[in-house]
Amino acid sequence: MDAAPLTSKRRTGRWRLLPERGTISLFELLLLAICLVLVAVPLPQYLQDVLIQTFLWAGLALAWNIAGGFAGLISFGHAAFFGIGAYTSSILAANYGLTPWIGLWIGGALAAAFGAVLTLVCARLRGPFFILSTLAAAEVVRIAALNWAALTGGAEGFSILPIASIANMVFESKTTYAALMLGYFLLIYVITKAVEGSRYGYYLFAARDDEEAASAAGVNPLLARTGAMCLSAFLAGIGGSLFAQYFLFLDPTHVISPELSFQFALLPALGGLGTAIGPVLGSFVITPLSELLRSYFGGAGAGLHLAIYGAVLVVVMLYFPSGIAGALQRLAERGRKGAP
Amino acid sequence: MVPCGIPTYAARVSNGTMTTVGQLVFSGLLIGGIYALMSIGLTLIFGVLRIVNFAHGEFLMVAMYGAWAMTRYLGLNPYYSIVAIVPAMFLFGIVVHRLIVMPALDKPHLVVVFATMGLSILMQNVALMALSADLQDVPPILGGRSFTFGPFYAKPELLIGFAVAVACTLGLRFMLQATYLGKAIRATVQDGEAAQLMGVPVPRIFLITFAAGSALVGLSACIMTPLFSVFPTVGLNFVLIAFVIVVLGGMGSIEGALLGGICIGIVQSLSSYYIAPAFGQMFFFMLFLLVMIFRPAGLLGRKGEATLGIND
Repeated sequence: MDAAPLTSKRRTGRWRLLPERGTISLFELLLLAICLVLVAVPLPQYLQDVLIQTFLWAGLALAWNIAGGFAGLISFGHAAFFGIGAYTSSILAANYGLTPWIGLWIGGALAAAFGAVLTLVCARLRGPFFILSTLAAAEVVRIAALNWAALTGGAEGFSILPIASIANMVFESKTTYAALMLGYFLLIYVITKAVEGSRYGYYLFAARDDEEAASAAGVNPLLARTGAMCLSAFLAGIGGSLFAQYFLFLDPTHVISPELSFQFALLPALGGLGTAIGPVLGSFVITPLSELLRSYFGGAGAGLHLAIYGAVLVVVMLYFPSGIAGALQRLAERGRKGAP
Repeated sequence: MVPCGIPTYAARVSNGTMTTVGQLVFSGLLIGGIYALMSIGLTLIFGVLRIVNFAHGEFLMVAMYGAWAMTRYLGLNPYYSIVAIVPAMFLFGIVVHRLIVMPALDKPHLVVVFATMGLSILMQNVALMALSADLQDVPPILGGRSFTFGPFYAKPELLIGFAVAVACTLGLRFMLQATYLGKAIRATVQDGEAAQLMGVPVPRIFLITFAAGSALVGLSACIMTPLFSVFPTVGLNFVLIAFVIVVLGGMGSIEGALLGGICIGIVQSLSSYYIAPAFGQMFFFMLFLLVMIFRPAGLLGRKGEATLGIND
């Protein structure tokens, strides 16, 4: 997979037009400004819903990217982490009265522990074998959640009491949710940028690109990978808790489905794997598009937005393997060459 | 996926637990054969091209719809539809290979994973749009009669499926051992570059293998249509089982797929009767993870090698 080059060639200033490792770009600041404006202006309820989902998915895609893009641990099982986070905070709130503000960290920690076990256990597996193992692990979690009805409500689902209060982390206005999701997404973006520019980030890229060479240079690939998966699972688990607080209803077929796991992987793949901005672009393009298509065609075109999604994925993977981010990069470089 | 009919058969056999166990193992064996048949294409493609086709389940779905449509609209026995479905799936395999798999082969393995994943999403949702999410069935052949073997019962559809699975395994094995094409395929698996230098047209071997894998999916779809309902996401259920079987048997091993299929069939049959159908599914995913942890090459696979009968 094409990733950002290991060393930035022209690091003349801290501010660049396009995102680059270890620097903040004008492009990123512009996006941030747009996000803030969108949260602040009063949009119709429906568009606010799209906005909330877009921010949530941008965060989730970024979380996946830390494992999948940076460490090369392609996981088709992230729905398990998401589901663990969602159920943990919700169950703690319903049964023990613990506020989700604390519960979400516990959910994230449980997801991280599961991620660590999974990575250590599957340490020797590569390529499709690792992918299939993560898929199987998520299925085990899903079936367990489906059948452990006493804890999770099983197939009938688990409802969160819609009593709006700050302690319950349930809000009347969608604007609050939009701000919350934006906060989540920005938190993960900052973490991603920090990892990307850090020594640890370089360990991850090294272990991903050439494991033997990385070992020879003193990197412990297993440790680096496990850490990346832990972080990724932790952040995905928190995302699950936030989703639960917004949606107020959980059932295993939706919260831990293989389809959800695929979504985790597809957004970064479309946006540009292994870059910080890629998963964000993936979510910003795909989430509103699929929501709008879904509402536009309604029941008549059930599946149309996903069919388009699938077709776009095939074309992007074959002809633009570095995704939207890569295409933008190329466009900008052409522009720079064009200008004398 | 609740295996068809197994609990009812078991319930019919009420004289003694041993007979129940025997019936369950017998039904599991037969259903396992059918699972194996559906996995052979996947393992063949992995063994030769070293790729996992994530759209495998959707190939199965399309072919099952084909067999269903021929039964429904032409009044054919689903087994007769083999004559049309298998060549059609062979052609479909050629098209998919040309358009999607071949361009992705020289790129990082992620590309082929995501591209076939995209194809799977596309096919699933086109089917959803065109055919709705309703479950479709074909009427039982032979009026739903069942055969008896001493104390055991079996649906004729299951027996036919098992026989076809065994015949396919043996036939494919013979083909790989004895024919020129089989030898060329094995040479490609062993060392693609050397095979190319010896005059084996490796790109064409890839094409033929992919198309043959798809044709095998078509065959298993015709066998499975009388047993399982067809709906747009039917592939997802089956492809997960197929992945488990292929890994369990050793990716790339044909006999391994048969053995893995039978193991999964029996495990599923026993655990869905004695525990709960859903837990039966959990068991085989756990089995899958255990195999991955302790014997990543599978039961019949050699360490890190695809074994299409080349290592014996």
